[in-house]
Amino acid sequence: MAEKLDVKQGTLALMILTTLEVLGPLHGYGVARRIEETSENRLTLNYGTLYPALLKLEQEGFVTAEWRQSENNRRAKFYALTAAGRKRLKQERQEWHRMADLMAAFLAPKREA
Amino acid sequence: MRQLRAVLTRIAALVSQQPADDELNEELQAHLDMATDENIRRGMSPDEARRQAVVASGGLANAAEAVRDQRGLPWIEGVWSDTRYALRALRLSPTFTAVVVLTLSLGIGANTAIFSVVRGVLLKALPHREGDRLLYLRQSADGAANANVSFSVPEVRDLRNGAPSLGGIAEYSPFSFTLRGEHDAVRISAGLVTGNYFEVMGLSAVIGRLTGPIDDGPGVPPVMVLTHEYWQQRFGGDSGIVGQQVKVDNKSVTVIGVVQPAPFFPRRIDALFNMVVSEHHVSAMMVEGRSHRMTEVVARLVPGATIEQAMHEVAGVHARMQADHRDAYNPESHYRVSVIPFLEVLGERARLTLWLLMGAAAFVMIISVANVANLTLMRGVRREHEFVMRAALGAGTARLRRLLLVENLVLTLSGAVLGLAIAVGGVRLLTSLAERYSTRAGEIRLDNVVLGFMVSLSLTVALVLSFLASMPREGSFAARVMSGARRVSAGTGRQRLQRVLVIVQVAVSVVLLAGAGLLTRTMMQLADVDTGLRTEDVLTMQVSLLTPAELLSNPAADGAAKESYERMRREIGTLPGVLAAGIGSSVPLRQSDVQLEVMAEGRATVVGEAVRRAELRTADPHYFRAAGIPLLRGREFANTDQMGAGRVVIINQLLANVFFPGQDPVGRRIAWTGDVLRFTPFSGEWRTIVGVVGNTQDGGPDAEVAPVMFMPFAQELAIAGALVIRVDSNASGLATTASKVARRVAPSAVVENVLTVRQIKDLGVSPRRLNAVLVSSFGILAVLIAAVGIAGVLAFSVSARTNEIGIRMSLGAGRGQVQRMILREGGVLLASGLVLGVLGALVVASAMRGLLFGVGPYDPNTLVGVAVLMSLIGLAACWIPALRAARVDPAIAMRAS
Repeated sequence: MAEKLDVKQGTLALMILTTLEVLGPLHGYGVARRIEETSENRLTLNYGTLYPALLKLEQEGFVTAEWRQSENNRRAKFYALTAAGRKRLKQERQEWHRMADLMAAFLAPKREA
Repeated sequence: MRQLRAVLTRIAALVSQQPADDELNEELQAHLDMATDENIRRGMSPDEARRQAVVASGGLANAAEAVRDQRGLPWIEGVWSDTRYALRALRLSPTFTAVVVLTLSLGIGANTAIFSVVRGVLLKALPHREGDRLLYLRQSADGAANANVSFSVPEVRDLRNGAPSLGGIAEYSPFSFTLRGEHDAVRISAGLVTGNYFEVMGLSAVIGRLTGPIDDGPGVPPVMVLTHEYWQQRFGGDSGIVGQQVKVDNKSVTVIGVVQPAPFFPRRIDALFNMVVSEHHVSAMMVEGRSHRMTEVVARLVPGATIEQAMHEVAGVHARMQADHRDAYNPESHYRVSVIPFLEVLGERARLTLWLLMGAAAFVMIISVANVANLTLMRGVRREHEFVMRAALGAGTARLRRLLLVENLVLTLSGAVLGLAIAVGGVRLLTSLAERYSTRAGEIRLDNVVLGFMVSLSLTVALVLSFLASMPREGSFAARVMSGARRVSAGTGRQRLQRVLVIVQVAVSVVLLAGAGLLTRTMMQLADVDTGLRTEDVLTMQVSLLTPAELLSNPAADGAAKESYERMRREIGTLPGVLAAGIGSSVPLRQSDVQLEVMAEGRATVVGEAVRRAELRTADPHYFRAAGIPLLRGREFANTDQMGAGRVVIINQLLANVFFPGQDPVGRRIAWTGDVLRFTPFSGEWRTIVGVVGNTQDGGPDAEVAPVMFMPFAQELAIAGALVIRVDSNASGLATTASKVARRVAPSAVVENVLTVRQIKDLGVSPRRLNAVLVSSFGILAVLIAAVGIAGVLAFSVSARTNEIGIRMSLGAGRGQVQRMILREGGVLLASGLVLGVLGALVVASAMRGLLFGVGPYDPNTLVGVAVLMSLIGLAACWIPALRAARVDPAIAMRAS
């Protein structure tokens, strides 16, 4: 548990959308677990970060929410990607890659002339 | 779209909080349970599993709060609760609230009212189509009454041919007619226009049609277009009037339409006609006489052209005109033409006055805000403890700022509501002022733009007030709560700000008072001007039997008209209380419409001397005695000065001094002259001067006296008639009876301007009086507010220094010393304010030079008087807190700390 990273604003939405795309409809706990596992526990998500983000995506129409039984028989709110959400994800992902390439090029050690 | 959708759901969420909260709790609980299950699966004890899950959650309450913020619009909810809190807090300090709201309402009300006038008269776009391309052309020359000599038809023709950037040039000739109804006859103010006039002006008809090119020329029927205002006033907005015939002077004229509401220049008018309605306007004299200047000119800039281009072209045309027609442009008179946007010329007489009032109102606003800022600062100190507590309980600085902002918004918006009521009353008063200066006064409205101005003013004030208050720094809260920060602790920064505010208040008050003083002295000087009449108990009225046009077309009617005038004079002379009654062409203290060039026999014109003009008036043998105009030399007119007898005249003192300085003019000869004379019914033969009368202020109290030449009423055509009635007392009481007599003798006569000399004098002063009263009340208001400001700040300083004063006194300082210490503190503020204020007053006074009369802008009496007054009031305001300081009981003061 040496260094934990805070989730950068804006990236959380991308992580949530990706998670939902990969795993299909999922409750908040599942999303949080998945993000923590994928980051190999370098990220922790407290509820105060996760749930407002989920709500925001729902308000924007990228996800829908529905109460269902979970795998171990608890009632939980399941979030699922909408068509608009898929489109948004595709865009965001492309943008992220472009940005990442750019930053990589930018931060690469410069050769002295 | 996404944004909108998100906002909409959030707004919807504001109204359905409770079920959403339940659902959220369930969701968070489920999350926690699942995390706990997982932890148990990993081998923790149930208690430990639960504990770990809660730790990882980061706090359920926090999460719920974060989600709630995302769900609704937390800002609105916060503002709502802040508003309730602010209302409660303000209710608890009613004096503070009342003073602040009242101060702000005065500032906001005055500014809103004056802004609405400034906007209506000076700023608002013209109602004319593309009104920004509308231009007014003005020809002027040197010499009195030559500031606007108008244009002649040949001049306009040259302009049409030589200025391509002017797309249309229209002629507009101000005129007046008698409109004869079934039961009455009224004078109407009219404009004779060329067919392209409405096209150039960009005006449309409300009903019927407007005049067009088909109405030009001599061979067409005369037609009339009513202005919207006169249509409503005279015909009650009856659309049946279109197509009807009305009697204008002695002609039948068809009403063809009503034009949209619009301001006219140079004066308000009732109706517009085509030129043919006046024979004179289609005569060769008018159409061919280059020096026969009777026409105003408006023009429309072609698209893409600039006003500079137009000016350049017009100047070129004008130079060529002067070169080609030397006889029509006396080189000594320096004829010139200016091109002015129509919007500007409409406001030219109102501009200085209105901006002065706007400036004064802005100053009052500055003082009000400074005062409220001071009150808020002091209150802020007293509330410091409350803020520290709130901060300690978790409110961030931003949150506290918001609370303050909401509180100030409540204050300023209440001030605005009250101010609106003040503005509504103020606009009515100001409109009556503006009517004297501009034909656009009818366009003054408290419309959306004005209300927007008021709201943004209020918001700005609230913002300024909120950011003046200093906030306890974050992190220092705990320490301050611990130390029991209950004592009033004014930071030095804040005290400095308070002092600067007081200095500003004093300075601005001095500026306003100086302005008020100058305007008041102007008004008093005007009221003191000697009119030249020896008595005020004189009733005057204008009575028109025949218009000049009617008379010129039928000179034989002159005899009968003169008989009617004489009968009126005699009958009015027998009324009780009447001492004398006389007849002339025009009433005294009112400018005559006719001014002609004059020359004296045996006196060569000096080279380089501007052409001499004199007002033309007529008078009967009783006129001067009845009016109270003193005869200085020679004799009055006699009954023997009849038609056919020798031509005689009486001149006023000014004309005598001009032509015969140091000599006796009686017996000398004088004559009318100039190009224009041949267009009038007056001859240019020599006339013998038989008397000299005193000068009278015919152009108003602040105008220069004009040279006047009186001819015997009996020897000239009665182109106009005026009765002058001297009464032993109560001249105004006779007005009704005397007008009745005039109407009985001549039922078709237009009787107007029935005024006593006292009333005429008052009319000359009253616009300035309103000016002076407005600025003075702003000044007094400012001083009062400033006095409250000084007293308040010092009182506050005393209470903040109670402890220090206690120590000083216990160390041996006397009461007098303490009192002096506080007075000195106030005196420094007062003196700094005075110095700044006097400097400011000098700047402002020189800007308002044009509004002053009989007093210089740097009038030392006014400045000294203002400084003394301000010092006295300021010292009085210092005295109360100083006394209080001296009464401090050292024992109590030190115990309190």
